[in-house]
Amino acid sequence: MTAALSGFVLRRVANSLWQLRWSHLLTAATMAVTLFVFGAFMLLQINLEHLLKGWGEQIQITAYLSKNVGADEMPALLARVQAWPEVERVRSISREQAWSDFQAALGAQSGLLDGLPRDVLPASLEISLKLAHRDSPVVEQLAARLRGEKEFASVEYPQEWVERLGLIVLAVQWAKWSLGGLLFLATFFIVGSAVKLALLARRDEIEIMQLVGASEELIQAPFVLEGMIQGLAGGALSVAMLWGLFALARSEFPTLAGFLAPLVRPQFLDPASIALVLASGWLLGAAGSLFSLRRFIRTWKAAGRAV
Amino acid sequence: MIEFHHVSKTYGPALRALNDITLAIPKGELVFLAGASGAGKSTLLKLIFRDEEPSAGQILIDGKNISRLPSRGVAALRRRFGLVFQQFKLLAELTVLENVALAAEVIGVAKKASRTQAYHLLRELGLHERYDAKPLTLSAGEQQRVAIARALINDPMLILADEPTGNLDADTAQETMSLLLKARDQGATIVIATHDLGMVDRYGARVISLRRGELVDDLRRAETAGAGA
Repeated sequence: MTAALSGFVLRRVANSLWQLRWSHLLTAATMAVTLFVFGAFMLLQINLEHLLKGWGEQIQITAYLSKNVGADEMPALLARVQAWPEVERVRSISREQAWSDFQAALGAQSGLLDGLPRDVLPASLEISLKLAHRDSPVVEQLAARLRGEKEFASVEYPQEWVERLGLIVLAVQWAKWSLGGLLFLATFFIVGSAVKLALLARRDEIEIMQLVGASEELIQAPFVLEGMIQGLAGGALSVAMLWGLFALARSEFPTLAGFLAPLVRPQFLDPASIALVLASGWLLGAAGSLFSLRRFIRTWKAAGRAV
Repeated sequence: MIEFHHVSKTYGPALRALNDITLAIPKGELVFLAGASGAGKSTLLKLIFRDEEPSAGQILIDGKNISRLPSRGVAALRRRFGLVFQQFKLLAELTVLENVALAAEVIGVAKKASRTQAYHLLRELGLHERYDAKPLTLSAGEQQRVAIARALINDPMLILADEPTGNLDADTAQETMSLLLKARDQGATIVIATHDLGMVDRYGARVISLRRGELVDDLRRAETAGAGA
């Protein structure tokens, strides 16, 4: 397309955006709502994954020592476990340390412990894993290995919670694509209807352009371009709305997240996700316009117009 | 040169708009298509500018069969034509100048050049002072002159006019015809569909008469004095 024709198309787009501004705004707002819902799921997914990662970093295996393991055996045991390739750090908790930690955790209720012997709690090893070995199969294998060692009476790790959170992330991901997909489909047809209205409003103009020899591409280009602009505007609006939601959620996060709050710092969409939202809007607008144009032209041809 | 070879056009099984038309219109000729409403005049024009496809037969323009052109070919064909209609077909939201320039802009003439060209044409047609007006503020005759300016802006080889004087009073009709004849004098072929037999008699030239889709007469007459009016 030459510079003159491109200029002509841009002028037509600018005219249409101004003359049918309310219709264009409504379509862009509809797209913004769809992209907002999609983006909100994306935001939730990113933050849950972040939480899972943060929690994963906190994962440690607690191995409680058998009563018959003496204090003199501890250094050797500590060195042996520390030498395992998956292990990042091992901390030894003596019976006394366990008692005072428990007391501190109970705070004002620590009087409940009165009368109990100070060595009632077992000594333990708190084992932190290297980042690459924090997947659940590795954690399970390591726990099984520890259980096989005669020095340990029992082994605990918060695997169940990690798995549950993993399932929630998966559910959010599914909801994002299924609900998002449905909304995309609905919006696709709404965009198509908006373009159809614009086509009907400009039917005379299209007819006259055809009669004076405008090519099919020249007639269609402004509509597709308008769809793309609407999509991008809808995408930008949805990102702004998501930012508003994020800012609100971040201010309320400590209250909402409760004990999880220290584990995670809320994250907004990264540049790639923002680009995905904008690109989805752009594509939705362009595809909706093209679909409607093709259908309109087909029916117009059938009605005796040669486009 | 426009050639029709055994061209028929039907709409559905029952309506035959044109039946087995064979004719030739040489370059630079002025031709009236005469006949009552429903005779097939407009259909014949539509077949030439490919608003319709023939149901049978072939239509050649400068030796090229236009009966089965793809859409790109149709657009290219129409760029060589100027079309004038009884209802003017002007865009109400555009100014007079923009309406005329539109035909040049869609074929790739730059905005400034097309508007300068449009303004010159409007001056020739005596409408340059109304260049910024909207079509609906003009009289019918003025609107038809704008439509003719639009038809002329790309120096067409063929002007097709469907009842161009149908909505005009006698003086304005004569003025419109003068503009079309002037274009013919500059080398364009002119085909005018009309049911106004008075006008056909007044301007003479070649008259192709249609009745219920049949070609009933094809008379070449010397142009009368009215042609020069």
